Amino acid sequence: MASDPVHGDRPGGAVFPAFALIGWRWISRNPAAAVAPILLPFIFLYFLRLISPPSYLPLEIVGAMLFTTQNIGSWVLGDSATWRIETRMQDVFVASPLVKVRYLFGIAFSNLIPAAPALAVLAVYLAVTIPVAPLSWVVLGGCLFVLWILFSAIGVAISSRVRSQREIWPVGNLTFTTLGMLSPLYYPLTVLPPAWQVAARFLPTTYAALLVQGQMGLPGAVPSDLALDGVLLVLLAILGTVLALRLYRWREGD
Amino acid sequence: MSLLGIRWTGTTAFTLTEMRVQLHEGLAIVTSMIVQVVLLIFVVLLDRAILPYALVGAVLYSVFMLGQRVQNEAAYIRIDHKLTELYHASPLSAEGYFVGMSTGVLLAYLPPILVIVGVLELSAPLHAASALVLVGVASALWLFTCSLGYIISTFFRDNRAIWPYATLLTNLFGVLPPVLYPIGFLPAYWHPIALMLPTSSAAVLVEAAQGGLVTLTGGELALGAVALVLEAAVTFLAALYWARRSARER
Repeated sequence: MASDPVHGDRPGGAVFPAFALIGWRWISRNPAAAVAPILLPFIFLYFLRLISPPSYLPLEIVGAMLFTTQNIGSWVLGDSATWRIETRMQDVFVASPLVKVRYLFGIAFSNLIPAAPALAVLAVYLAVTIPVAPLSWVVLGGCLFVLWILFSAIGVAISSRVRSQREIWPVGNLTFTTLGMLSPLYYPLTVLPPAWQVAARFLPTTYAALLVQGQMGLPGAVPSDLALDGVLLVLLAILGTVLALRLYRWREGD
Repeated sequence: MSLLGIRWTGTTAFTLTEMRVQLHEGLAIVTSMIVQVVLLIFVVLLDRAILPYALVGAVLYSVFMLGQRVQNEAAYIRIDHKLTELYHASPLSAEGYFVGMSTGVLLAYLPPILVIVGVLELSAPLHAASALVLVGVASALWLFTCSLGYIISTFFRDNRAIWPYATLLTNLFGVLPPVLYPIGFLPAYWHPIALMLPTSSAAVLVEAAQGGLVTLTGGELALGAVALVLEAAVTFLAALYWARRSARER
């Protein structure tokens, strides 16, 4: 195989370190960008604590972790759209050894960095609130990983379709907040009206929530087949990611 | 036209311009209600008894969010469009620019706020007196939030850096204090602080005027009312001063 005369035998480059640097620079230069993702889930938890039974707290903490991970998609949307529209960096990325899947993982990793402290603090809070078995941590980590990939793919796909910076906030808000709230992240599925419960069954985040709630045996968890929930989560996530990547315009003509 | 040395030239024209600009963004107007609706859903699902408080709070939270719109818009015009210099070189006064933008945003975003007011009227109708109090405190809150948003917008050089501050401000003022839940949920020693915050004092004043929702002493009511009026007046005057000051090249 002939090597690329420009990029040698490593056509991908060091994607993760490069994007990790971008993510780190972002929070190190904007303290509020580091603080906001940590504080926001706690502000929501505080509000929920006031209006919900205390026994729901572990469920709400897990919900905050899932919602924070899902929100990474919104930040991916913002970054990717800004780089394309404002700084015109998309052409540079396309001309570089990156391919769109590596770009997706890179930008998703870059945006995982501001979310990581929030996830760590919430994990500690969860561990203090209830005993969590090692297998439950694995299941939780797996669900967070799947949602991270899926919603980053959705974010990057939408970013290629917005035409102006002004569209980023409303489109992101509509997509990610609505999807997050349709799923039973902060409350048990059973408190939702029947029609809503049916609609929630079409969303991968619902299966992530059911899986973690069931695995940890959280108060309010719906008795369900955890293996089936896991399979449906992965299937819906793969379907969503493939659709998002097909929707994504990496270069002109895509 | 000058009043107290303040120039209002072009305010009406810029109000209408800004209103049209905002009305072109229907999706932003619709999605401006998402957080309030989500919080109302939480309340309906988990503690329906506090719905009247949450609806009053949702109206006031929506008004408070207008400051975030002004903040984004002022930063967007200055940083992305680079139009501020052009506006300031025109007959439009610096004060008219700030007040026109705030009023234009208000007019464009009023319909969804009125939808929440309609839901409030259907589920927990306000008396005439408390409706008047709602209009009064919402006006003071609008002055406060737009002034704060405009001042903050002038400190940024990058639009991306704004959202964390905007999000923090709206949550710290809107979700944390007793805006969407009764002040009675807080221990009594927190009440004076809650009454000094513009969002929660506005909500508590409406609830007190409605009667039966909250019981406060005369002193507590006076503290809430005075704090809200003072905060609105001081931030508005500061924003007028800052609009004029930041219009000049630094």
